[in-house]
Amino acid sequence: MDMKHVEPTDAEIEAIVSEAIAAEAAMARTEAAPPSSAIVWWRAQMRARQEAAQIADRPITIVHALAIASGAGLMLGLLGYATGGLKASLAWLTATYQSVAAGAPLASIDLTSRWVTLPMTAMLVSVLVASIAAYVILADE
Amino acid sequence: MADTTFALKLDVRRLHGDADADVTDVALAMDEEAFRAFYDRTAGALWGYLSRVSGDRQVADDLLQESYYRLLKSTTVFESESHRRNYLYRIATNLVRDSRRGAKPLFDEGVEMADIAAPQPHADAERRHDVRRAMGRLKPRERALLWLAYAQGSSHSEIADVLGLKTASIKLLLFRARRKLAAILQA
Repeated sequence: MDMKHVEPTDAEIEAIVSEAIAAEAAMARTEAAPPSSAIVWWRAQMRARQEAAQIADRPITIVHALAIASGAGLMLGLLGYATGGLKASLAWLTATYQSVAAGAPLASIDLTSRWVTLPMTAMLVSVLVASIAAYVILADE
Repeated sequence: MADTTFALKLDVRRLHGDADADVTDVALAMDEEAFRAFYDRTAGALWGYLSRVSGDRQVADDLLQESYYRLLKSTTVFESESHRRNYLYRIATNLVRDSRRGAKPLFDEGVEMADIAAPQPHADAERRHDVRRAMGRLKPRERALLWLAYAQGSSHSEIADVLGLKTASIKLLLFRARRKLAAILQA
């Protein structure tokens, strides 16, 4: 009788597979050389620390970026303003100086001119933003 | 191993800009003692699972560390040791599946030849070679199913939990995987 064509029963298949995998599992146990638990624990600690530090740094980075962007925007604005309004500001200063020198009372000086209020506002905002940025950077360090 | 540890310590301290800093604990899901005991009980078997399902020892080494790290970072509350172990195997299974994307072929010849070259009786070595070749022709899920059932002795519900399948489908899937492996082994 030709046994090659006889289909194995489920029980025989179960036995074949069970035996094969059991032998392979025994081999795997001899091959296995996992790192020590101390090393794995230590690496996990280090990685968790790094991840925690990265998460903690994220808001500060955002504040830094905002401060830098605000400062840069302000500087550009001032630069644009300065090129357009420098002459007007100088003219106002000259006229004010001349009128004061001519004996005009100080109360007559027009402080509501935009050539006075705009530079003053820009200066105040710059000082404010610079102070906040300096505080954040120094507090971080 | 000691040299590697030292190098890692130096790297991390340099990263933090503090050469004298002590290594302090951060919040993980287990305390050190409990983790080390759990690791010592499970790492060998998990490595076997990873190496046989992925078919690559190097991958198994890498994924072993990653599996335990993800377990430690998990916020899941475990009801028992077996629940934690099944969760660990589920993490490992997902990692193997992810690592398979664009990976090299399973059970490459280099690994097999190294084993066969080991001083073992010829018949045993040849048989192991056949088993590995046969395993290599199965799908990763089939290997995982058979390994969990026959090497780990996991129940159908545990296998379903680890592989993210329905318990009712495990019996049929195991039946098919068994027949496939037996057919390859007998060919």
